[in-house]
Amino acid sequence: MVDFLIGLFLASLIVALFTTRLYKLFLWYSINSLMLGMLALVIGKNIDDDAMIITGIITIIVKAIGIPYILKNLSQKFHFIRQITPEIKVQYAIMLIPAILVFTFYLSAPITSMINTNANYVAISISSLFLSLLLMIEHKDVASKIIGFLSIENSLFLLGISATNGMPMLVELGIFFDLLMAIVVINLLFHKEEMKI
Amino acid sequence: MILYLFSIVLLALIAPILLSYIKATKMVLLFKRPISVFQGYRNFAKLMHKETIISEETSAITTYAPFLVLSPLIVTMFFLPPIVHGGYYVSFVDAFTITGLISLSTFFLMLLGLDSASAFGGIGSSREAFISALVEPAMVLTLFSISLMAGNLGMGQAGVNLAEHFPKEHMASFLFAGISFFILLIAENGRIPIDNPETHLELTMVHEAMILDLSGVYLAIIETAASIKFVIFASLFASLFIPFGIEFSAPIAILIFIAKLFLIATLVAFLEVNTAKLRLFKIPNLLGLAIVFAFLSLITFYVLGA
Repeated sequence: MVDFLIGLFLASLIVALFTTRLYKLFLWYSINSLMLGMLALVIGKNIDDDAMIITGIITIIVKAIGIPYILKNLSQKFHFIRQITPEIKVQYAIMLIPAILVFTFYLSAPITSMINTNANYVAISISSLFLSLLLMIEHKDVASKIIGFLSIENSLFLLGISATNGMPMLVELGIFFDLLMAIVVINLLFHKEEMKI
Repeated sequence: MILYLFSIVLLALIAPILLSYIKATKMVLLFKRPISVFQGYRNFAKLMHKETIISEETSAITTYAPFLVLSPLIVTMFFLPPIVHGGYYVSFVDAFTITGLISLSTFFLMLLGLDSASAFGGIGSSREAFISALVEPAMVLTLFSISLMAGNLGMGQAGVNLAEHFPKEHMASFLFAGISFFILLIAENGRIPIDNPETHLELTMVHEAMILDLSGVYLAIIETAASIKFVIFASLFASLFIPFGIEFSAPIAILIFIAKLFLIATLVAFLEVNTAKLRLFKIPNLLGLAIVFAFLSLITFYVLGA
């Protein structure tokens, strides 16, 4: 079950890399966060950790529903261009993404030999970190760069829940608060973007 | 042995019903009065009675190409994984053979389009070559990765192994292979994001452009080939990626298999209603996604073993 959810997590990120519409990108980010929240719920239930279950519920409410909704409203308010074409051409992306995946899978081999629980998930979360970096690189407009930033946060969260059997809950709540503050800062960036247009 | 032959005949008989069922589901979703699910048979009977006209410009290829389009697909039907427990199956046929037989059929279809010497046939053939060249690497990769997960390179044996021992430990790579194969199912059968089978608009048609000059018996054969191609892909998807329900006794297993086929057809119909057709030069994006997922499934299996 955990393998299945982690597969869907990576799959939704890869589909987001090929998207050319802004609202579809928000949708894929929302699905990505939903899978992350369900993963936290499942792992939390397996290791019987109440803090992680609460974190999973908050992830689903904030990241899968809240942030995409706020971003969609903001981009409607500021009349963003909804057509976002990736700067990296598709034929190069087809070669680049498997190269990144192979590279990171081998890169994480020394790390996974040190960790004895859930070694595979470390490799997938590092590769999704690199893929969300690619998502930031391949777009020029501010909204999709923000989605890339939020995806980096998601993959770090995945690393946290899968590699360490749960961070302290206070740290994770702090991260959520940071994220909401980041959305407020992003709002200011959107104002600037609108003035440019 | 009798069950083996019976299952092939059953798949061939259910093929026109599936395509009509997709069309009927779409019509229900669009608030139209649906066609009967037996419309495929009615069209076949109608076309068999009609006069067959062959253009004066064509060579001998047009007279025998329709049979060569149909026959590799019928041969492929003998190699599919079994649909009942303990049934007979061909165990040694691997991914290359199945992909090769399907592309042999596509090759003769392209030849048929070029042979009629009309502009539309040429357009359709060049587009079909463009799409199928992108489909084949992804299909070989996907079938190989699923057969590695099953532990046997033969497709029939792979289907049996998956049904007996579902690869729970390889769930991630199984999921990637499933996504990739579903995109290929849509692309190879010319369903909506790739090609719209219902219009005859010159900007969009791919499959229809190649068979525009055919009539009568030949058209009936090509339509049958299209429906058999869909049923081959759907049953490969059903036995490799939804490998449940084979362990029951024969009648129940067959009913479950038919239900799975109709489930896949319903999925395709929902997808067709909800998406717009892609522009021709956007098709590599979708098929590139299929190639990425196929490759990802293979390397996740090899490197991570997940």
